[in-house]
Amino acid sequence: MKSIIQILLVISLSLLSAFSIYAEEKISGAEVINNNCARCHNARAVHEFSIPEWKVIMPHMREKAHLTGKETQAVLEFLELTSQSVPLAQKIAPEKIIAPDGKQLFTQFGCQGCHSLKGDGGTVGPALDETIKNKGIGFFIKKLQNPQFNNSSSPMPKMPLNEQQIKAIAEYIKS
Amino acid sequence: MLKLLPFAIATAVASGQLLANEQQNNSRFALAGYGDVKYEDSKLMDTSAFSARFVPIFLFSLSDKMHIEAETEISVDENGETEIELEYADIHYFLSDTTTFTAGKFLLPFGQYGPNQHPSWINRSAFSPGIYGGLGGHGGYQPMQGLLPVMSDIGVGIQHIIPLGKNQKIFFDVYMTNGLAAEAPHDDEEDAHDDEPVLDEHEEEVVDEHAEEEEEHEEVDAHAWELPELAFEATSADNNSNKAFGGRIAYAFLPGIEVGASYYTAKYDEKLGFTATGFDINWIGNHYIVRGEFIKTETDSFEEDEHEENKVITFDRNGWYLQATFMAGKMFNVLQGTDFVVEYAETNKINEAERWAYGINYWLDSRAVIKATYEDTTVQDGEDDKRFAIQYSYGF
Repeated sequence: MKSIIQILLVISLSLLSAFSIYAEEKISGAEVINNNCARCHNARAVHEFSIPEWKVIMPHMREKAHLTGKETQAVLEFLELTSQSVPLAQKIAPEKIIAPDGKQLFTQFGCQGCHSLKGDGGTVGPALDETIKNKGIGFFIKKLQNPQFNNSSSPMPKMPLNEQQIKAIAEYIKS
Repeated sequence: MLKLLPFAIATAVASGQLLANEQQNNSRFALAGYGDVKYEDSKLMDTSAFSARFVPIFLFSLSDKMHIEAETEISVDENGETEIELEYADIHYFLSDTTTFTAGKFLLPFGQYGPNQHPSWINRSAFSPGIYGGLGGHGGYQPMQGLLPVMSDIGVGIQHIIPLGKNQKIFFDVYMTNGLAAEAPHDDEEDAHDDEPVLDEHEEEVVDEHAEEEEEHEEVDAHAWELPELAFEATSADNNSNKAFGGRIAYAFLPGIEVGASYYTAKYDEKLGFTATGFDINWIGNHYIVRGEFIKTETDSFEEDEHEENKVITFDRNGWYLQATFMAGKMFNVLQGTDFVVEYAETNKINEAERWAYGINYWLDSRAVIKATYEDTTVQDGEDDKRFAIQYSYGF
């Protein structure tokens, strides 16, 4: 009996520890979408609804998909970020978005939430390691500017990025 | 006084603008949902017909803590009558970051098909899985007699989530609802049931051939007993003082796998009960999805023994399905948007049947799909069926 209690105690502490670390982490909205939405359905395109509508829809999905409040908020922040026009996004976070730092942009827009790179990342979208090598930089730029140009069923959002920033991300992916 | 007028007007205009901006950024209402149009050809029913449904979901945010949702299914039946069914209408109160209280009419969290996967733009087949077949208004009549409908009932529930890092979670759902009742007997139906079961929406005719007497452990010959029909349709009344209880516990290793165990128990009469136990899996890979459920049901019934005394016997049934989807478009560019689906289902111990289904889906975009499914059902003591359907489903 004593050993069972000890085992349960260790398991409980491990769970609490794991939870508390996660609670402090910055949650990626893109990663939440990749991990949860695709469990039941294709990821929906951001532009299907306005942000005020997403704010009403997300509490519904919170209960359906067993999301925490923080995860729900992270998704909303991601949707808000990706639904901005390029100039507005730069106005919101000029330091981060204007700087053509591919790695920073790659992280900021949560690319790895849906795409894997070097074996790490989501699975909603294809792995990015060989994309530019196989399809060329022209395809990559066009895909980010108009994600549905080659696949009408693609749920990828159009990111508020200019061509210079897209090229910076491409450089980071190639490196 | 007049000096204050411009100031008052300016204040009113500024307030109006602030309110307008606030309303622009925060809405209280959103409309979502799904619908479908289906052409179905059945050998057994000797019919071929088009049908259509529209299933709007009305969403309201009362505050950060309170959220209201309601789903109605609007369709036309074979007599041309418009049917409107309230699928759910409930309010969520977010007690904390991880705990949600729900009250109202809601989809019971039993397995994954019922609460989450049954909408036609989410279900990868044009038909319901065999073990849900023909029940609950989500599949129409099918020769494979389902074990459960998609259950929706009125009551209260609690959901709790334990995140274990960013890739693992444990889900708990528990609920208490009005529960089910015995279906009122219909003279015309009784005759029909002698030969072959006729299924109505939200009801299950329980006809088990494998059962044991509760006390004497004597095997029951189903054909010798009068068998109960159960009405799962939610009502704002309860025929007894007992409530239905149930819940689901699930483990998710995100984004790849979710496995769960469900339980539901209710008294449909003062002394007679119904219990369902289920296990489910949802396994998602880069190019494939595998969904499956196993369900076991136990239904009590009064029967007279040779001394003309009532005793309780329990009828067991079980069944399972497994549906595999290969998302070919993710692997081959030339097949962009194309899925191939294969599904197997079987029911055991009563009305034994097995069903194979094969399908091909084409996604027009991420929320609109055309599904073509062929299914072949073999019924042990009844007529086999082959049917084909093309369904155009959309989420909105």
